[in-house]
Parts: sequence; structure tokens; C-alpha cells
Amino acid sequence: MEHVKYLSALSATAALLAGTALLSTAAVAQNGMNTTNLQHEVVLDGLDNPWDMAFLDDGTMLFTEKCSGLSVRLPDGAVNALYGVGEAEGYPANGADLFCEGQAGMMGVAFDPDFETNRRIYVYSTSNMSDPHTNRLMRFTLNDDFTAVDDRTDIVDDVVYKMAASDHPFGGPGAHNGGRVRFDPNGHLFLTTGDTHNSEVPQSPTKMGSKVLRIDTDGNAIAENNPPEGFDKRTYTYGHRNVQGIAFHPETGAAITAEHGPWHSDEITILENGGNGGWDPRPNMAGRGDCPDDYCGYSPNQEDGMNRYERAAFMPMTDFDTYPDAMPPIWNNNGWSQGTSSAAFLKGEGWGDWDGAMVVGIMGIGFGGTPIGQRIDVIQFNGDGTDVEDVTEMTLPMDPGRFRSLVTGPDGSLYASIDEGTIYKLTPGQ
Amino acid sequence: MLKVYALAAATCLCSMAAWAETPSTDPATADAPGAVVAEQEVDLKAAEKIFRKSCRACHGNQAQGAASYPKLSDKSPEYIAEKLELYRAGEKIGPNSILMISHAKKLSDEDIANISFYVATAFD
Repeated sequence: MEHVKYLSALSATAALLAGTALLSTAAVAQNGMNTTNLQHEVVLDGLDNPWDMAFLDDGTMLFTEKCSGLSVRLPDGAVNALYGVGEAEGYPANGADLFCEGQAGMMGVAFDPDFETNRRIYVYSTSNMSDPHTNRLMRFTLNDDFTAVDDRTDIVDDVVYKMAASDHPFGGPGAHNGGRVRFDPNGHLFLTTGDTHNSEVPQSPTKMGSKVLRIDTDGNAIAENNPPEGFDKRTYTYGHRNVQGIAFHPETGAAITAEHGPWHSDEITILENGGNGGWDPRPNMAGRGDCPDDYCGYSPNQEDGMNRYERAAFMPMTDFDTYPDAMPPIWNNNGWSQGTSSAAFLKGEGWGDWDGAMVVGIMGIGFGGTPIGQRIDVIQFNGDGTDVEDVTEMTLPMDPGRFRSLVTGPDGSLYASIDEGTIYKLTPGQ
Repeated sequence: MLKVYALAAATCLCSMAAWAETPSTDPATADAPGAVVAEQEVDLKAAEKIFRKSCRACHGNQAQGAASYPKLSDKSPEYIAEKLELYRAGEKIGPNSILMISHAKKLSDEDIANISFYVATAFD
């Protein structure tokens, strides 16, 4: 038994130290075996809050780090920094207007479907170019040797940003930006946004938070978008809380979101063009009175745990009483909110029964009696892709983490980034 | 297996070290005039249990910090203990205070001492 002497100036509490100690080792990596036997490898480590990845067919991987910037990992493993946040060092170019604060910073990234021809990429980041500040979707041209970006064009420059702290959990500036950037099979560009702890945003026809935008690569609305009268035409759906996960069903093509609930009810929702997610945290409506800083999103009893179904009744994630036609979720995480962040569809025979299933990354919170829940869930749909048929927690071959981004790679592997700084590659085993 | 003894000083020195946000395990600090030094035993197993249940989901599996949650592994035990005591008393000292207060109010003095030492030293 090894004893370590520690000399400290602890406060009075330290004087009460007692008890025996046996240091257990860190959790041993598991040999995953449920539907598939997963292998894993570390693709990149020591990153600064990796937020999202995007792939080319040859394995080239763009990745963002929230407070650092955009980089690319080449198939040979070399990494080139491309575009930094603010004054971040080590980048050949920087966006002086870009910054990170709280949950905000550089977030989603995507390759243009026609990248081989036009060399275009898309990156979503917080910017102080406008006042109040906004989140912007930037388009760049990536040079032929993957060493530099050019031609920055902000194709969306008006996604709302939370400027000041408020009296809420996670109440600092920069809360709830959404942030995922994805192309659907038709080549339409989707951008997910969040409510910024502003109760007026979700149902607002013009404030571009709490929306899923469907646009072309110049930032223009897709003509078939069908939001209600008076809405910004870029709106595909609205009334969301903070969408960080979106993926497209491999057979139906439907856009499906995975959304982080408040103190209850993470949700998966099949989007309907023009649909309302039913999130409306305004005070003095729907049976509610005043709420802290005019936002009921964590009410009631926002500072303590309570029964999640009672919470849901008071402040529904999808308020069918107020909005009977709201898009119904097809999964609500058993009523828990555990930090649902990202979504992707598995592809390849190696995944066995999971081929074509959706995977959802859950970061974990653990508040007020809620199980922490860090994991990747495998969501299997019914035959026509309209409902959830089964949910299985993926048995991981490594310790879990804050699963921020899940992306299916061109090799059929699932790439998973965790906020702690690692990008993993998960591959079905033999 | 590891048993750890902490030499704790129940003096006002703790607050100075804590707010400095710098590691302070220099024996010279605790030996400063006025320090009352006592050998203590830190229950690392209990601390690790608290860490895995209440800390790692936000602060990261190595207390390295993640998302909007700060790095803890570079802080001193004094700093962490003092902050936990403030949170336990219900004081709001940052945007994630509601989360911290929720966790800290369940901690005993012994828990705070254990987890403070563990977080500051387990991931060196």
C-alpha cells in the first residue's frame, strides 16, 4: 500500500478528513458486444472542445474546435490549421470577429456536396461583426492542397446570440446557438439554431433562433419552404429549443432532429416542412405566471430537482395544448434531459442489424436526480421510417464522454467527438 | 491501491490560496506562520465515486474542462474546497452556479475535502 503525504492549507473542512482509502483504477475499457462488437481508435486527441466534423470520400476530415478554429486532417494523418477564432494562434488566417463565449464559438462544419468541383465548405460560428452579436454561417473556398481557405462569404449573418447573462441554469452569455450544418440528399443546406434563453425567439417569425433553416449555398431560402405567413422564408421548421442534431433518413430522406430538452424530455422529431416544434417558454401564458428573466424554459423550480413529468406538464418541450398541430416527437428519452447533441445514420453491412439505424450522442448532465447518461443511443426506426421501433444503448469500447458530434465516415465507421478533446473512430468488429 | 494522507491547515491561508487560482501544494505555504497543520487521510475511493457521479459529466473525465465547464485539474485543493463551500452555502459565482449548488449542497465537509484533493491530484 502506497502512502502519499500531502501538505496543504485546506479550509476547516479538511480537518475532518477521515476514513480509509482504496484508490480504484479508472474504469476498464469494455469489450462491446451487443448487436456489434465495436473496435475503437483515437483519431485525434488533445483538441480544444471539438465540435463537429465533415468528411470527403477519401477520408479527409474537416473539424472545428470551439474556441480555436477550423482544421483539416488529411488521409495520411497530417493536420492543417485553416481558420482561427479571433486571435487563436497557429492558423494561417483568422476571423478577427469570431469569438467564443460559454456555449458559443465555432460549431458546425460541412463540405459542399459538389466540393470536388467548387472547393466550397461551410462553417458556423459566433461573430461580433454585428452588434448585438450574431451567429453566422460562413462559406469558404478551400485551396487545392488543403492548406488555406479564402473567399469568406457570410451566407447567414443574423442568427441571434445571447449577449448577457440571465438568471437561469447555464445562464451565461452565449447560450443555445444550435449549431449543426448538414446537407440533405437533395443538396439543400440545413442549419439548426437555438433559443438563446429568449422566450420571444422560438415562435418569432423573424428572429432566426429556434429554427431549422433550409437554404441554398448562397444563403437563400429554398423555394419550397413552407413556413406560416409572415415568417422568414428560410425557415423550414420553428419552435425549437436548441437543435444540435440533425440527420436525414437514408430511405425516406426526411430531416430528423435530435434536440436537447430543458430539465426534461430530450426529443427526436421527424421534421415537417413549415412545422412547429411547439417550444414556447414565454411567461404568463399556457397556465404559467412570471418566470426568471421572462424565460420559463427551466421552470418550475429551476434550481432544484423535481419529477420530470411534472416539469413537462408545466413547461412542455412540445406544447400540444397551445399548438395542437405541433410536430410530435417520436422519442423523448424516457422523459429525461441528459444533453442530447448530435445525430447520424449508420451505414454499412458491418453494422449488422444497426445498418441504417440512427445514432444519437448524449453528453450527460446529471442534475436533480437525473442519471448522467453519457452514451450513444442506437435508434431503430420502423419499416417506413415514421416511428421509433427500438432503442439500444451502444456498448462502447472506451470510456464515455460528452458526445458532441457523431458523423458517419466514408469508410462506414462512426466518428465521435467528445468535448473533452478527443475524436474517436468506432468500427464494427469481426 | 493507494491511501493518501493530507496535511491540512485549518487556517485563513486557505482563502488566499483558493482565490489565487493557482496550485498551492508548496510546503512552504502551509508552514507559514499561523498555519495549524494536521495530518489527514483522504478517502480517494469515496472521492472518485463523487467525481464519477457529480463532476466528470461536465468537467471531463480527467477534470480537464469541457464545453463551458472549467478545467479543475490545474487548480489547488484549497481553491476547489473553497469554491465548493461557497456553492454549498448557495452562493452564485458563475453561470453554472445552479448546477454546482445542486451538487455541492449534498456534500459533507469530508466529501469536500476528499473530492478537492482528488480532482487536483488524480490526473497529474
